[in-house]
Amino acid sequence: MTSPGPAIEWQTALGNAKLCLPPCHVIRDLLSTGVCVRCIFRLSGIHDRDCYISPINESELISVLEEQNEIKCNSTTSTNCCVCLGVLCPSCVVPEKPGADLREISSVNELALLISDMVKGEQYRIDEFSLEVSLPPVITANERALRLYLKQKYEKEQWFKDSFLRDHMSVKDTLKLVLNASLENYLAVQNVETLSSSFRIRLTYSHSETSQKLQSMLPNGHDSKKRERGSRENGSSKNCNEPDASAYRVLELIEDQNFCAQFQVPPGKVDKPCQLVVACCRTPTYIGGRYLKYSRNVSQSRWIIDDERMGETSVEEIIGENVRQICQGDGYKFHSAGREDIDVRMLGSGRPFLVEVSNSRIVPSSTEIEQISDKINHTDKKLVGVKNLKLVGAEAWDLMREGEAEKQKQYAALVWISRPLNVDDVCNLTSLKDMEISQKTPIRVLHRRSPLERSKVIHWMKIEKVEGTTQYFLLHLCTQAGTYIKEFVHGDLGRTHPSIGSILGCRAEILQLDVTDVKMDYFD
Amino acid sequence: MAENAERSEETLYKPSPKSIEREKQAMEEEPKEDLSSLLLPNLNDLPQNPPTAVEFNFSRYFLPDFTKPGHDQYIYRHANGLCVIGLAQAHVALKEEGGVTAVDFNVGKSDRSELKVTGKRKRNAQHFESNSALCKVCTNDNFYIVRCCVKGSLLEVNDRLIKQPGLLNSSADREGYVAIIMPKQGDWLKIKDSLLSYEDYVKLRGLL
Repeated sequence: MTSPGPAIEWQTALGNAKLCLPPCHVIRDLLSTGVCVRCIFRLSGIHDRDCYISPINESELISVLEEQNEIKCNSTTSTNCCVCLGVLCPSCVVPEKPGADLREISSVNELALLISDMVKGEQYRIDEFSLEVSLPPVITANERALRLYLKQKYEKEQWFKDSFLRDHMSVKDTLKLVLNASLENYLAVQNVETLSSSFRIRLTYSHSETSQKLQSMLPNGHDSKKRERGSRENGSSKNCNEPDASAYRVLELIEDQNFCAQFQVPPGKVDKPCQLVVACCRTPTYIGGRYLKYSRNVSQSRWIIDDERMGETSVEEIIGENVRQICQGDGYKFHSAGREDIDVRMLGSGRPFLVEVSNSRIVPSSTEIEQISDKINHTDKKLVGVKNLKLVGAEAWDLMREGEAEKQKQYAALVWISRPLNVDDVCNLTSLKDMEISQKTPIRVLHRRSPLERSKVIHWMKIEKVEGTTQYFLLHLCTQAGTYIKEFVHGDLGRTHPSIGSILGCRAEILQLDVTDVKMDYFD
Repeated sequence: MAENAERSEETLYKPSPKSIEREKQAMEEEPKEDLSSLLLPNLNDLPQNPPTAVEFNFSRYFLPDFTKPGHDQYIYRHANGLCVIGLAQAHVALKEEGGVTAVDFNVGKSDRSELKVTGKRKRNAQHFESNSALCKVCTNDNFYIVRCCVKGSLLEVNDRLIKQPGLLNSSADREGYVAIIMPKQGDWLKIKDSLLSYEDYVKLRGLL
């Protein structure tokens, strides 16, 4: 078991650490209470990682302190620490798969390897990671109990007054200190401290036995039954999030006296170690760009009525699915700056959109993004196209929504009127600049929108004659966002006025509509 | 067309397969020319008289002699369930000398033009029976009651008729509509089969 290299490292480390440790009689006391060696180190303010990864046990520690020369490397601790409940020993059990048998982890290395296998198994491609650790509130209670115990017993002693516990490290920080370096090794990437990496490894520890006791002990018992049931079910703190938060709150508020009355001081020994659930996940990946819709039979978002799909497919599905596939994500959400009807094409500049991919296994490189573009743009059917596709940050969502009401849109409508178009008509329409119109909620959406009268602006209009006809023409117009174009042409039974029909003094119908420009600064 | 309208509440006229092909070809070309050529329609696709917005978006139903002889009304039903109520072409009021001269919504227990429906759910809309009065239409010598025809919530009345009763003379089938009603699915199904289609109504009254 002993190998010269590492042994010397931690022996030296231990030698230096001795200065921080409390006197021997205190250490014996702590050990017999059930506190593990690592908790003793961290409470004493030892920050040297080498001390923590040493496989030293209680008797060896005593030997070192009493300056006996032989240090034998032996088996690890056989009981679970009454403070950290095995989080630091580390000797926790991990469910390999939901419902499978539990597995014991007895060294940092083993834990790091397990985590790294999980990351590699899911085929994540990462260049950094963040470690998130969630501990059960009972550990905080344990630590408080231990501190109160020591205070009661030793507060008159010199070493206590000097500096004890002033420099101590929390269980969480100690675990991170110990684990990060090993993880960096196995994953071959850097750890990023403050959760700023998009790739998160979450360790959730729980201890049902003591947590239950804690919950029933503390005041605020009105939904204790619910919490008890939750924590008994699978010990994962995922189900206990709210009880955790309220437990921390109560612990903060409770005074030492009351605390000692309710809680065992020093904390009691435990039979079983913590349960650990390891999960890794990537924060959403955002891909933005502009889309074009060439088909008059493709809806913007998935549209299904009574199990039947409306239209051939949707922009959302074509783009979202392709992005999701290449990013190897679990799912996607599609957002866009406005939308158009199923039978309206989106041409010209295209409409800005954002795809949010959840838990993507890879963050696409620019080559991979080009791949997505190519895939969408070169399908047989050419229903939808994308341009300016690129990786964007989470703030892109706000950027897209910003000033939505001010955005101007440009359209081309194929209009028919009930009499031939003449020169005056053309002059009439093209001379109108920034014309205000009033639109009552169109009948076709009145079933799901509030009945209101909305004022909109038609900024300009241009007429393009259609050769070979007298009653058809292409109407190009630029309007305020939110204007119902179809209703502006046919008048919606007079509920939109003025309308093309009312301006020209005849009946007007719209046959086709295309969006030709969505004026927006971003995603260009 | 009416059948299609039930399904596709918002679609417009569709181009022929030929022009779809042309569009595809146009897309291979340069972007600038691309856009203009995409926008121009194929002449072969343009009918002399395209369907009207009403014909395309609604299913038209007719009730001849509703509660009284000559009181012909129409219901235009949208795919979303809303019903536009109005006077049909052969309504006796429209045949009188001078036509319609005034419209008054103050009938029954309340003034129908006073109602204010708000919100997406339209919870404060008044519920009416199919024979509830919507308004009174006056001619030089007579007046006629226009009724709901279908049981449901009254969403809106065409208050433009108050200032412009002539709309009923010029375009009773469009801008001269009387009201918009939202019936429950069940209430609509009850009356649906007793209604006439446009073709049958035209035949019945010998129009066109």
